[in-house]
Amino acid sequence: MKAFAEYHPIAQTIYFLTVSGIAMFSLHPVITVISLCGALLLFFIRNGTAQGKSHLYFLGMFLLLSLLNPLVSHRGATVLFVLNHNPITLEALLYGICASANLLAVLYWLRSFTQIMTRDRLLYIFGKLSPKLSLVLSMALRYVSLFTQQAKKVTQTQKALGLYREDTLIDRFRSTMRVFSILLTWALENGIITADSMAARGYGVGKRTNFALFRFRKADALLLVCSLLLTGITCTGLTLGKLQFTFYPVVTSAECTVLTIGSYLSYGLLALLPAILETKEVLKWKFLLSKI
Amino acid sequence: MKNRTLRIMLKWGIPLLLAPALVLLGAVVFQEKQHLFISFMAAILAVLLFFTGFERKQVGTRRMVIVAVMTALCIAGRFIPFFKPVTAITVIAAVYLGRESGFLVGAMAALLSNFYFGQGPWTAFQMLSWGLIGWFAGLFADPLKRHRALLLLYGVLSGIAYSLLMDVWTVMSFHGQFTLPLYLAAAATSMPHMLLYAVSNFLFLWWMAKPFGDKLERIRIKYGI
Repeated sequence: MKAFAEYHPIAQTIYFLTVSGIAMFSLHPVITVISLCGALLLFFIRNGTAQGKSHLYFLGMFLLLSLLNPLVSHRGATVLFVLNHNPITLEALLYGICASANLLAVLYWLRSFTQIMTRDRLLYIFGKLSPKLSLVLSMALRYVSLFTQQAKKVTQTQKALGLYREDTLIDRFRSTMRVFSILLTWALENGIITADSMAARGYGVGKRTNFALFRFRKADALLLVCSLLLTGITCTGLTLGKLQFTFYPVVTSAECTVLTIGSYLSYGLLALLPAILETKEVLKWKFLLSKI
Repeated sequence: MKNRTLRIMLKWGIPLLLAPALVLLGAVVFQEKQHLFISFMAAILAVLLFFTGFERKQVGTRRMVIVAVMTALCIAGRFIPFFKPVTAITVIAAVYLGRESGFLVGAMAALLSNFYFGQGPWTAFQMLSWGLIGWFAGLFADPLKRHRALLLLYGVLSGIAYSLLMDVWTVMSFHGQFTLPLYLAAAATSMPHMLLYAVSNFLFLWWMAKPFGDKLERIRIKYGI
């Protein structure tokens, strides 16, 4: 078994698509809470308390969105109080909290996804879809850092020549635009040289292959099957209306049956899967260390 | 070989199998948020279809590299605070390089820059919106190239259209369905952003259209792209 970040990119992509897809398209509070817990757990296991400030931003967004909904939407039967002739309802508040938690869960899943999907993994996935596109993608990614470096050089040269002024806002804008313009000329010429160099080495003559270090192992197949199976169970619950939950006009939920519980459990397992895999790896490491 | 079969499968599979299946899935499985599900899938499928179409085309290496350069410039431009030149660069690239390149620059810039600015469910909609802005700019390349006023108008309109399109997603993602009052409320709250988009598109097109266009034109003539 491997830690979650080392699984095959296809297995990881399918996993993230299913787990965040269910969270995004269902509005059930239990599913939302499970999803949020799983997403936060994975993020904190991988990052610890680093990036503390970014959590404040997400928390602020959560509070803002959940409080905004009752101000905009006035549906619902239970009126809490009346504000400027507009009724503020309990249902709208609950809906706001649930929907924001839902969004938060999806965002945290995607944050982990962005971290785990390193550039080589991303290019691998795109290379399967379209080698040409994957080339454009990898070049663009490389150019971002190249251009930033070059822009610094151009700015320094302009400053040394006495052409870069930052006295007023307009001057600064003009100077920045000139650097940008110089950068563009350089970038285009540089790009053409790169393209010619590629053509001279035979790019586009034969079939395009790409190199990747990923091998689809048994564990990847297991992860893939697990995520599809658990998603299937949860989706069955959704289809048969066992996970129906309506906020308006009054909060009502579908009867709790075996399938409802089954859906919760399968989605819970799905959401906790990466956290379990990561923890297992950490424990194994600690255990092996202690044996030395 | 494997990649080719995958692409052929995608080309025929998306419109004939995947799209109807997903509509059905949205209607049956995700009843509460079916509008969001279907529109989300439609956005992804449209972008995917375009990408597979791009693969089949004979595109010169030089053109591909230029597309990568313009995409990278878009991403770098997104680091400028408040005023974003992304739409302006996409429009200029589309006008001088054609509609396919315009779509690619817009869509790729959205996808890649979100790796720096944060991926979200909105990525798919951003890709489609920016891609379409580029595609339509390429479609009307001739008049846009000739009349500067039209180009500036296109910039302002695309800023407004982008904001309105993203509001559709905001409403649907949060409320699960699309209703006019909610949409109007969302559009009203995003009014400052819309103005900012329109103004920055106008300013950047005002500043960049001529010099950047000349540069691209020069490269096009010099190297025969």
